[in-house]
Amino acid sequence: MVQAIEVEPGENKAPVMASGHTFGSITDKVSAMVLTRPLTKGWIFGFAICFLILQWMLYAMCWLFFKGVGVWGVNIPIGWGFAIVNFVWWIGIGHAGTLISAILLLLRQSWRNSINRFAEAMTLFAVACAGMFPIFHLGRPWVFYWLFPYPNTMNYWPNFRSPLVWDVFAVSTYGTISLVFWFVGLIPDLATMRDHAEKKWIKTVYGMLALGWRNSTRHWSRYETAYLLLGGLATPLVLSVHTVVSFDFAIGIVPGWHTTIFPPYFVAGAIYSGFAMVLVLAIPIRKFYHLEDFITPRHLENSAMVMLATGWIVAYGYAFEAFMNWFGGDQYESYVRWNRIHGPYAPWYIALLMCNILIPQILWWRKVRLSNFWLFMISMDILIGMWLERFVIVVVSLHRDFLTSSFGMYYPTQFDWAIFIGTLGFFTACMFLFLRLLPAVPIFELRSLLPEAKAVEHE
Amino acid sequence: MSPVSMEKLNLMAPPSTQIIERRSLTVGILFGIGALVLAFVETDKFFHAYLLAYMAWLGVSLGSMAFLMIHHLTGGGWGMVIRRPLEAAAKTTPLMAILFIPIIAGMKHIYFWLNPAAIANNPHLVELRHGYLSTSGFIFRAVAYLVIWIGLAWLLTRLSATQDQPPVRNLSPRFRVIAAPGLVIYAFTITFAVIDWVMSLSAPWISTIYGFIFIVGQCLSAMCFIVIIERILARHQPMSVILRSKDVHDHGKLMLTFLMLWAYFSYSQFLIIWAGNLPSEITWYSRRLYHGWHWVGLAMVIFHFAVPFCLLLSRPFKRNVYTLVWLAGWLMLMRYADLFWYIEANFNERFFVTISDVVLPIAMGGFWLWFFFRNLRQRPLLPPYALHARELVEAIHE
Repeated sequence: MVQAIEVEPGENKAPVMASGHTFGSITDKVSAMVLTRPLTKGWIFGFAICFLILQWMLYAMCWLFFKGVGVWGVNIPIGWGFAIVNFVWWIGIGHAGTLISAILLLLRQSWRNSINRFAEAMTLFAVACAGMFPIFHLGRPWVFYWLFPYPNTMNYWPNFRSPLVWDVFAVSTYGTISLVFWFVGLIPDLATMRDHAEKKWIKTVYGMLALGWRNSTRHWSRYETAYLLLGGLATPLVLSVHTVVSFDFAIGIVPGWHTTIFPPYFVAGAIYSGFAMVLVLAIPIRKFYHLEDFITPRHLENSAMVMLATGWIVAYGYAFEAFMNWFGGDQYESYVRWNRIHGPYAPWYIALLMCNILIPQILWWRKVRLSNFWLFMISMDILIGMWLERFVIVVVSLHRDFLTSSFGMYYPTQFDWAIFIGTLGFFTACMFLFLRLLPAVPIFELRSLLPEAKAVEHE
Repeated sequence: MSPVSMEKLNLMAPPSTQIIERRSLTVGILFGIGALVLAFVETDKFFHAYLLAYMAWLGVSLGSMAFLMIHHLTGGGWGMVIRRPLEAAAKTTPLMAILFIPIIAGMKHIYFWLNPAAIANNPHLVELRHGYLSTSGFIFRAVAYLVIWIGLAWLLTRLSATQDQPPVRNLSPRFRVIAAPGLVIYAFTITFAVIDWVMSLSAPWISTIYGFIFIVGQCLSAMCFIVIIERILARHQPMSVILRSKDVHDHGKLMLTFLMLWAYFSYSQFLIIWAGNLPSEITWYSRRLYHGWHWVGLAMVIFHFAVPFCLLLSRPFKRNVYTLVWLAGWLMLMRYADLFWYIEANFNERFFVTISDVVLPIAMGGFWLWFFFRNLRQRPLLPPYALHARELVEAIHE
C-alpha cells in the first residue's frame, strides 16, 4: 500500500546548488571569473573608491605616528575610544568566516561549501583590520613585539594576569590558523587555476602557490585529513577569541563591564555581525558575478536564520544584564543602567536597541529572508547596531564610573573617523583584489555537491 | 522499500518498560514514605533537599523539551530516533507542576528573605522582598512558568501525535513554528525561574551567566538520560533496528558539546568573579571554596569535566551505547552533585550530606520515571507516519 505524502507549505527549500551543472561547467564558470573575465568598469570604479579611502587612512596614520595618539579623541576617563570599539567590531566580523568554514564543516553542513571561501577571506581581512587598532593604540606601535614574552636585556616580561596579553595570543593564533586554513583550502583550486591558465607567468604563479598538487588519491587523502584537523583546531577559536576579547572588559571592575554573561554574549554578537557581513558581501557578489546557481536563496535564508538565533542570544544578554543589575541593587551598576537610557549617549543606546533587537525581528518572516533587498538592508542595520553596541560598552561605561569628579565625555576626531572608515576601504579593497585573483567560491567543494560525486557512505 | 516494512516493525515500547514503570512507582512510593517521615524529623533539611531534587528532575524534563525543539529546528536522524523519548520526558512537566506544591508549602524553610529579621540590615533586600520577591509574586510567576512549559510540551506532543495516523506527513514547518519561539521562551522563562528558585537563595548576589549555566546543565542531563533510555531499549524492537551507531555517536557528540559549554560558562563565571574580587560577588565563591565545599568544587572540575571530556574524545567510546551509557549515568550523578554545590552551600557553611539529600532525589525520581515510562508506552517509539521517520527506516533497510 503506497501512502500519499502530504507536503506542508513552507517546506520547499531552495537547493544548495542549482541543477544542470557538471564538473566541467562549475570549473569553467568559477575559473573564468579570474582567468578570462576582462576588467570591468564596475570593478575598476569600486576598487578605485576603496583605494582612495585607504589612502585617507594612510594619511591619518602618518599623522598619528608623527604626533601620537593625542590626535585621537581619547583622554582620561575614556582611554579606549574608537580604537577598541573598532577592534572588537572587526574581530567579531571575522568570526562568521571561521564558523562557516570550521564548525559547519564538522557539522557536515553542505550549504557551507560555496560561501566558505570568501567568508574565510573576509575573516582574514577583518582580522587584519582589527589587529591594526590595538597596535596603534599602544602609542609606540613600533615596539609592539614587547607584548610577546621573549628573553631580553630589559628584564621585561608581560603581565600574564592581564587579559590584554591573552588577547595578543588569542588574536595572533586566530590570524595564523585562519590563514593556514584558508590557504590549505585553496590548494586544489590553485592547481585548477594553474591548469586552466593560458599565460605562462600566470601558470607559474598559480603553480608555485599550488605546492605541486597533482590531484592524486594520496594527495586527496592527506588533504582531507589535514583539512578536518584544521577545522578541529579552528573550532575552539570561534569561541575562544571573542571570549578573551570579552575578558578585556569583564575582568575589570568598571560598572557596565564587569558582568559574567560577557563571554557567550560577545561570541554570539560576533557571529551575529559576522553573518551580517557575509550577507552584505554575498548578495552583491552573487549578483555581479552571476553566481546565483552556487550561492542560492538557501544560503541567504540559512544565514538569516543564524542571525535571528544569535540576535536573540544578544537580546537575552541585554535583558538579563539589565534585570539582574536591578535585582542585585548595586548603586554603580544601577547608575550605568540609568545613564544608558537617560545620559548624554542615550540616543546611541536607543539606536542600538532598534538596530540589534527590534528591526531584525522582521527576519521571522520567510519572505524577508528570501528577499535580497531586505536581507541586505537588515544586514547593514545589524552591522551598525553591533558597532553601536561596542561603542556603548566601551565609551558609555568609561565616561562615568565610580567618581563624579572623573566624569567626562568622548568626542571622536577626524583622525578617529579617518582610520575607522579607512579600514572599511582597506577591507573592501582587499575583497576586490581577492575576487580578481583567486577563485571566490571553492571549485572542488562545489563539485562534491553534484550527485555523481556522492560516494557510498561507510558506516 | 515499500512502506510495508515500516508496518512490520513493532514500534511500541517493549514490555520490559512496563516492568520498569511499575518498579519505579514502587520505589517512588517507598522512598516517598521515607521522605514524608523525614519531613517531620528534619523539616529544614527536607525542604532544602526537596528543592535540590526538584531542580535535578526538572532539568531532565526541560532539557528534553529543549532538545526536542532543537531537533525540530535543525532536523537530522539523531533527533528522529529519540523524538518519542524526548516527548515523553517533556510531557512530565504536569508532574513537575504538582511536585512544585511542596516548595510553595515549605517556602519559609527554604528562602531566607521571607524572614524579616534576616534581611533587616539590607535595605535593598527589604525593597526586593516587598516588590519582586513577594510571596504572591513568587507563586504567580512559578505558576506562569509551569503553565508555559506545560503548554509548550502539549503543543509539541499533540502535533507529533497526529503522525501516528495515516497519511504520511511532513510536519517540519509546523513544528518549526512552535520550536523557534519555543526555544526563546524556554531560555527566558527558565532563567527567570532559576533567579526566583535558586539564585535568590544568595540574594542579592547576581551572575548574569547563571541562566546559561542552568540551561546547558539541563540539556546535558537530558542527553545523558536519553542515552540511558536508549541502552534500556537497545536490545528490543524497534530500537534494535532503528538505532544506528551513527546516531549514538551524534548523541555522544551532543553530550561532549554541552559538557564543554557547561565547563566554559562555569569557568567564565569563576574567572570573572575571582579576578574582580568584589565583596558583593566573591562571597558566593568563598562560601563554596572552604569548609569541605572546595572538595566538591574540585570534584566537579575533575569528574564533571576533565575525565568525561577525555573519555568523550574517543570515537569508538561514543559510538557504542553500551559503553556510553556508563558515562551518561555517571554524568547524571555529577549533574546532581553540581546542583548540590550550587544549592546546598547556601544553607550549610560546612559540607555534609543529609539522609534527605539521598532519599528525596530517589523518591522524586521514582515518580518521575513512572510518569515518563507511562508516557513513553502510550505512543509508538517512532512516529510511523512522519516522512523523515520513514526515510530513516528505509535507509536502514536499503
